[in-house]
Amino acid sequence: MKEGFLEYLGRFDELTNEEKELVSGLLEIRTYDKRARLTNDGEVEQYLSIVVKGLTRKFFIKDKEEVIKHIAKEGDIVSSYVSYFSRTPSNCIIEAIEPTTVVSISRDNLEKLFESGERWERIGRKMMAEFLIEKEYWLLDAIRYTPRERFLRFLKEEPDLLRRVPQKYLASYLDIKPETFSRLKQLLMKKEGPVVPS
Amino acid sequence: MMDADTSRVDPVFFNFALNYLQRYFPVTPQQAEIMIGLSEMRYFDKKSILLNEGEVEGFLNMVVSGLVRKFVRKGKREVTLQLATEGHIIHSEISFLKQIPSPVILETLEPSTLICLSYNNYQKALKELPGADKMGRLLLTAMFVKKDERHYRQLSQTTRERFLDYMKNHPHMLQRVPQKYLASYLNIKPETFSRLKHLVKLK
Repeated sequence: MKEGFLEYLGRFDELTNEEKELVSGLLEIRTYDKRARLTNDGEVEQYLSIVVKGLTRKFFIKDKEEVIKHIAKEGDIVSSYVSYFSRTPSNCIIEAIEPTTVVSISRDNLEKLFESGERWERIGRKMMAEFLIEKEYWLLDAIRYTPRERFLRFLKEEPDLLRRVPQKYLASYLDIKPETFSRLKQLLMKKEGPVVPS
Repeated sequence: MMDADTSRVDPVFFNFALNYLQRYFPVTPQQAEIMIGLSEMRYFDKKSILLNEGEVEGFLNMVVSGLVRKFVRKGKREVTLQLATEGHIIHSEISFLKQIPSPVILETLEPSTLICLSYNNYQKALKELPGADKMGRLLLTAMFVKKDERHYRQLSQTTRERFLDYMKNHPHMLQRVPQKYLASYLNIKPETFSRLKHLVKLK
């Protein structure tokens, strides 16, 4: 179970067995039923987690409507980041879409890990650089691509989520109007037009 | 503490930058000594392009004076992503960190003075400056948090809320920045922006 987190950190630098043991001791495994909440709004986010099994959505409510900010599947990181890093109340709710298991590290333990040596500070720096880069790509892509392009790019990168995630969540996540999303999906099913991403 | 003769950077400017950086992490006098040696000043006229689309970002910049705009082209339109004034850090994060062609453009809106860390000296700092990784981690975390907060505001606030919130926190920008850039930055239609302007008292 904890392997998922070790593999994630291992992308930034290869970990020795001792280091893997050190990290493992800081991790917690948490399981949730479908629709259970990992994080509530108004609470300070305690964990940065990797999804081992299942699916989560991060959202907030605007004018009685849910706005989906992130969907995380196996191998993805999930957390209410601003709350976690700045220890302020969360603006978002994180909920399991399917029965979900995550492996998590608390804010205190992450800090303890990074401060345990220069090598860990380096891994921490690389990790945060990746966070920043991914966020910037998401913001840029939302501007640069049309709804149709966003739909096709998403399908190419996350083909199985179209089956696993309710359509209204996906539409909200990709900031595509539900009607447009249905139309794009129908086009895809009928294989009409150039719907296969190049 | 710092010897101006051995450095290309004016200690007054460096201390200005240091004050801002210390919001993110503490800096010892020994670290500051190394940091000033790795920094450099850059000066730009109004409407200079610091970085064009497709170029590789060579610098991490902090604005000492002036105003720098970061934007992305979408067809014939320009979408403003950041407006950086005194004490703000601005560069193409993706291009700098990955050393790949930049998707964004940086341009000055006023004559600007920047204190900068080149990519080469950034690499040097990671080798020679004790605690550099930690500084980098904390700075990157702060930059990430700011971006995520802005993303949340863009999604959650109404046009009016975004406008009022921004004007409250950045009261001088209405005078300093052409309206079309502010409207684009706040993702507000120019017509709507003009109308909302009446909500704030002009000094």
